[in-house]
Amino acid sequence: MCLVKLRDVSLGYGRQPVLEHVTLDLERGEFIALLGPNGAGKTTLLRGIVGLLPVLTGTIEYGFDRWSSPFGYVPQRERLDPTFPLSALEVALMGTYAHLRPLRRAGRTQRQVAQKSLESVGLGTIADQRFASLSGGQMQRVLIARALAAEPTLLVLDEPTAGVDAEATAAIMDVVSRLNREEGLTILLVTHQVRMLRGIANAVVWVQDGRATRRCVDEVE
Amino acid sequence: MSTLGEILHPGFLLRDAVAASVLVGAVCPLVGVYFILRRMIFLGVALPQLSAAGIAFAFLLNRFIAGPHLPGHTNVPALARLGAFVFTLGGILVLAAFERRGREVVEARIGVTYAIAGAFTILFVAADPWGDAQMVNLLKGDLLATTGGSLGLLAAVLGGVVLTLILFQKEFLLVSFDRELALVFGKAAGLWDTVLYLLCGVTISFGVMTAGPLVTFGFLVAPPLTARLLTRHMVSFSVVSAIVGGVTAFIGFYCAYRYDLPLGPAEVATTTALLVLVGAGSGLRRILQRRPA
Repeated sequence: MCLVKLRDVSLGYGRQPVLEHVTLDLERGEFIALLGPNGAGKTTLLRGIVGLLPVLTGTIEYGFDRWSSPFGYVPQRERLDPTFPLSALEVALMGTYAHLRPLRRAGRTQRQVAQKSLESVGLGTIADQRFASLSGGQMQRVLIARALAAEPTLLVLDEPTAGVDAEATAAIMDVVSRLNREEGLTILLVTHQVRMLRGIANAVVWVQDGRATRRCVDEVE
Repeated sequence: MSTLGEILHPGFLLRDAVAASVLVGAVCPLVGVYFILRRMIFLGVALPQLSAAGIAFAFLLNRFIAGPHLPGHTNVPALARLGAFVFTLGGILVLAAFERRGREVVEARIGVTYAIAGAFTILFVAADPWGDAQMVNLLKGDLLATTGGSLGLLAAVLGGVVLTLILFQKEFLLVSFDRELALVFGKAAGLWDTVLYLLCGVTISFGVMTAGPLVTFGFLVAPPLTARLLTRHMVSFSVVSAIVGGVTAFIGFYCAYRYDLPLGPAEVATTTALLVLVGAGSGLRRILQRRPA
């Protein structure tokens, strides 16, 4: 079943396209990596798919209700301000806000969902620690927990292993591949690290020169 | 009777001024929390100044329409509030629209806004000599002139601000911490930003009308900075900010009354003194923790 269907899509900033004529299908349960040189438009494509960028031309169709089952969005952690006095649990709790209307407060149920999400990324014991005091790898896993707390159909990660050491990279990729393999969660991930995709990703989307083409993992190694 | 007993006595002559001080002191930090977290502290300087320019402009406009001001004119406070609110809200919406277009450019714009607002406040005052004295009092913030009526209005408006901040805390937190996530979730991020700015505009304009730009800026910034050193969670950050603001405003009032000091500066000095003390204590604790046993 097709979760996201892009047809002749152009994406960019203002009226200036960065990517043009992108035609792509993302099937339920797949693990797809977006690869390509710096500045090629990987993040632009990801942002377009989750609706953060308007589609300049073409269409994007979704095979699921984006509002009742939103994207599990994991941004680059540098984008988030560490001055906020938030614990890991409070950050993960924000994922549950997807299903809470105004005037509805996050209660015990939502806290349990957030705690369970932290446990599923191996951080159940650090729920009360300040988010800003965590290591880069831990922060990234808290953001994955936040995305899981939204109970998503599709998990979308923007360079989750950027700026973290090899051990943390392995831990993050282990969590993401397990979510795909054991829970059937569809994954779309931006990365520069091709090697770690072997045996994990079903395919890659190679982004370069304003185009995005789907390839086998072996083709880009 | 002790000074404290005198101030706390129900029949105290300046009872309304005490209440207004504590109200402004407690509520300004609640919106100031978002200024700190969104790294928009300079807005806390520029907006009270813009609010003052609004008051001066409203007076000038009134002079052209209705003629010179007369002492005791009943429409004066309403006019000043309207001017303060329109200028503050206009300024905050325009500056906020540029918030995400590069930090350096935003800071430059806020600086320019402050300079322009300061200059035009003086020019508007100079162009309206009839309203001069009354306006200078309003611009300085005449806490001691608080009446039962103006206190009631202040309490109602700031009470509404606090209630809205509590009711929509999760929305304000989400758009402040991760606006993109709010958009991905289909939340009306623009609407929540606007509501938050509206609350800031209302609080600042009433704060300036009651206590002046100096006190308003001081309490927007100093109590949240103090609370940030003492708290680890968002809710306690807001609550402690309000408590620090309210308590230091009261202590400031006590000092001003006891030692015959100007009220506004005494309150700001008190709240910033606490910030320095807590900052020093926090720094000392960090140094001691780093020292090898």
